[in-house]
Parts: sequence; C-alpha cells; structure tokens
Amino acid sequence: MAMINNSIISVDDLSFGYDQNSSILSNVVCDISANEFTVIMGKNGSGKSTLLRIMGGIIPYNYGTVKVKGAELKSLKLKEKSRIIGFLPQQHKPVFPFKVFEVVLTGRASYVSITPNKTDLYETERAIELTGISYLKNRIYTELSGGEQQLVMIARLLAQKPEILLLDEPVSHLDFNNQIKILKLIKELVSKNITVVAVLHDPNMAYQFGDRFIYVHDNMIHEVNNEKAWEHKLVTRIFSNDIQHVEHEGKIIFIPKS
Amino acid sequence: MGKAVIRNIIILLPLPVVLFSLFIGSSENVSFQKIVALFYSAHPLPPELETVKTIIYQIRLPRILLVFITGGVLSVSGSAMQAVFRNPLVDPYILGLSSGAAFGAALALYILIVPVQLLAFIFGLLAVGLCYLMARKNKQVSIVSLILAGIITNGIFTALLTIVQIISDPFKLQSIVHWIMGNFHTANWDKFNMVIIPVLAGLVILYVLRWKLNVLAMGDEEALSAGINPFRMKIWVLLAATLSSSAVIAVSGIIGLYGLIIPHIIRMIFGVNNKITLPMNLFLGGSFLVLIDDISRSFRGFEIPIGVLTMLLCAPFFIWLLKKTNTGWQ
Repeated sequence: MAMINNSIISVDDLSFGYDQNSSILSNVVCDISANEFTVIMGKNGSGKSTLLRIMGGIIPYNYGTVKVKGAELKSLKLKEKSRIIGFLPQQHKPVFPFKVFEVVLTGRASYVSITPNKTDLYETERAIELTGISYLKNRIYTELSGGEQQLVMIARLLAQKPEILLLDEPVSHLDFNNQIKILKLIKELVSKNITVVAVLHDPNMAYQFGDRFIYVHDNMIHEVNNEKAWEHKLVTRIFSNDIQHVEHEGKIIFIPKS
Repeated sequence: MGKAVIRNIIILLPLPVVLFSLFIGSSENVSFQKIVALFYSAHPLPPELETVKTIIYQIRLPRILLVFITGGVLSVSGSAMQAVFRNPLVDPYILGLSSGAAFGAALALYILIVPVQLLAFIFGLLAVGLCYLMARKNKQVSIVSLILAGIITNGIFTALLTIVQIISDPFKLQSIVHWIMGNFHTANWDKFNMVIIPVLAGLVILYVLRWKLNVLAMGDEEALSAGINPFRMKIWVLLAATLSSSAVIAVSGIIGLYGLIIPHIIRMIFGVNNKITLPMNLFLGGSFLVLIDDISRSFRGFEIPIGVLTMLLCAPFFIWLLKKTNTGWQ
C-alpha cells in the first residue's frame, strides 16, 4: 500500500458482507490523505459504495477498524461524526418541494437544538455562496435540473462544516458540463483544506481531477499514486482490455479500442 | 395578500370561530339576545338565563374546544406522519391508526374496566406499527406499499371492530356505532379533561421536533449524514402523533382524510417547511373542523355525524389532489 503520512481516515483489515455467505470487502486496508481529492474507482457492484458508506458511518461494520482522525469511527457520537464527515448519498430522491435554502439549512441539523439560529442561517448562506448557487436560493429544489440539485446537496454538506466530504457518484447522472462544474468545485474545496473522497466512473474525469486513486476490485483495495495510475495493471482489469490511452499535451486520455 | 397576512389571519382565526360557534346550536331556548345578555347581566342570573349559561358553558363550549383540539391534532399528526414516511398521501386514517384506535376504544366500551384512552393508544400504535412493517421491503417504504398496507390494516381492525359490535348488547352497540361515525354530541368537560393531557404531551413533542421534521423529510441517509438518528427521531414523532391522535379519536370516532386535506391546504399556502406549517396546521385544522361541526349542529331534530360530513367534503378534494400532479410529487 502507498505510504502516506497525513492520513485522515485509515481503514485496517476491514471485512464486510451484506449477508453471511457473500463478502463485498475482505481484509481491506487503505488510507485517505488529508486535503486531497481521492477518487475511488471500480466496476459496478465491486464494493466502492459500500466502502464509502462504511467510512461515512452510514452502514455499521463488524470486522476491522476504521479510524477517523485517530478515533474509531464506531465510537464517535453521531453529532461528532457529522462535524468531521459529510456523506452525499448516491441519488437524492426528493419528495416535498422544499426551497433550496431550506434544503441547505437541514445540513445544520447537528448544530440545531430546536430551530435554526442566526449562526445556522449565516453558515447556510455561506455554504450557498461557496457553491456558487446564490441565484438558486429561493427556487424550489424539486424543480431544479440534476446538476443544480447536486450543487444544492453539496452546499448542504458544506453547511454541515465537515472536514471530509464523501461523495457517492456525485456526477454519474449529470451532463458533461455539469460534471466538470462539480469536479472543479471539488478541486476548489480541496484547495480550501477540505478532504474529498468521491466514487467516479469516467477514467478521464478521474485522472484530470483526482490527486490519489483507490481501485476496488475482487473484494480488495488497491491504492495507486497519481503519476503511474493509468499504467497500473488494474486499470485494464477494471476497464477490461477494451480501452487504450493516448497522450495529449502531457495528459493521459482514455479512449475505447476500435 | 401576503403570506404574513394569511399567517396572522390563521393564527387569530380560532378566536372568532369559537365565539361565533357558541351562538350555534339546536336549542330553541337559546337566542342571540340571551347569550349577549348573559355577558352583562348581574348575578344572580334570572332562571332562563341560568339555562342559557348551562347550555353555553356545559354543552357548547366543551364541545367546541374538543372539536377544535380534534381537528388541530388530526392535521398536525397527519403532517408529521407525512414527513416521517416521506409520503404526502398519509394521515392517521390512511395508516390505519384511526381504525386501530377505534377498535381499542370500542373494546374498552365493551369491557368497561380499561380506560378508553389507553386501549385506543395501544391499538393505534399497534396499527401504525403493523402498517409500517407490512409496507417495509428491503428497508424501503414506497408510497404505494404504505397505502396498501394501510388498507389491509384498516381491514383487519374494522373486522375486529365488527366482532366487538356483534358480541355487544344493543345498548352498548348503539353507543359504539354512534361513536364510530364520528360524533361530538356527547362532548362534555370530562371528555375534554380526559383528552387534553395526552394531546398536550404529543403536541409539545411535535412542536419541539417541528424543524427536525424537515431533516427527516430529506431521507434517512441524508439525516444520518447531518448528525440525526432518523430511526430514533421517527419513533419519537410517531409516538407523539399516535398518542395525541388516538386520544382524540377515542372521543371523536373516525374522522377520515381530515389529517390529509388540511396539511395540503397549508402546504399550498406556506410551502413545505414544517417549522412554519406545523403550528398553522393546528390553528387551521382546529378552526375548520369547528366550522364543519357548526353545520352538523345547526340541524334541528337530528345531527349529521361530523365524520360523515368531513368525508363528504374531503373525498372530492382528495381526488382532486390525486389528479393535480404539479404539487411537487407524483
């Protein structure tokens, strides 16, 4: 495994399966480094989301350890955890037509005792500005486009003020422009000392924007440093032999083999 | 008209509605002039005013207040349940709570030893629990499965209720039947006092959690990420909603769809923020039911049960809601 010294989440010997007979992750070891954009990649059903959801405290784990800033994730109170980690579920399914501001405000839940106070409103306002969606503030969430909705959900995470953002396929159902918009925003957040971990599918987007990469394959985790990431044998295993890479202006671009 | 104005009107509405309703009733001895005279007559009152006083204070006032509480509680509980289940089409009636509580109350009327409120609460809770467990599949509760589970829950408790009716003697049977139809003509201060404690307990809990309902409405994982345990929170909300609504159902009988219609009207005016809508549901739900009850009280010689009137009023509205797809949900 890659050695990193500024690890903010460290997973050790983690095993997990949804039932006794099948395992999704076995003896997984990996580290997430602080203030970087880590991309998790792998085939559908490989366990990417499971790993992310365990790190986000969404599903409990029984075997192995997950340490967040040195403390065991399990032992953290929900409130403490939510101020360190913000988790973005795969696809938010809205039911009620809340206003954008009201949606972002719910990110403040761990700070609110009964109803939000001035600080909560201020932080919500700031998160909305930081995400660049001030113009959407009074719109109805359910009436927005997919890209706009995703920006709102990211603003909601920022209002929560966590140090780490775990994003489960944040761009998967977005158009090209919106994908770039979200990934640029992620880079901007990383530059403001927020650690981001995201599951991505498109290798081009991943290598353009990611700092470090984690491949999930055959229940195992493989960490790869950036420079040679695309040469790793796992890339071909994950994407099969149907892709090749070309160099363009010093960047690696993946294209399907013809 | 601005929202703030409408909001103030709804907050102030209960006062004129309650005052107005004091003048409505079937008694021919009570005229408008006599009621007005009551307010500035010197003590001791003349005998005819004494009767008026009794009718106003012992019959009409407790009834109006009880109806107000019932309407308010059904609306508040309905909106809270809609947030918990992330389903705008549920209320105490749809989820089977009403028929569960109705069965519990009828059972108590039959046994005569156990308090009506207690059995209503226990079976109301049982019904909601049953409905939820039936609807849950792969840790998901879909809108349709919840409504179907509610139909089955309603069926089960209606069947049980029928059994209680069959084994009851004619005298008890009459009171049970009248009561199921939703009726306030037996309202008095005793019933009011019986209801007010569980109602206040439930409402206080819901009032404290009103903003957190917004967080729940986002979804379980979204709430969990934001630092709220959605499962614990849902249990609190459901306990509070069931406690207060089964208490009023134990007195009022089944008033169908009311807890669904009022929250929708409130949402159309104020949006979906529960912090604002929850108190509005209480005020409008209470006032509107008092007005419906005024209609049922103004007939001479007979009284149309309020459950019948609300159903006749709410059903067309419910159908219209289903057809109207642009309310933000499908």
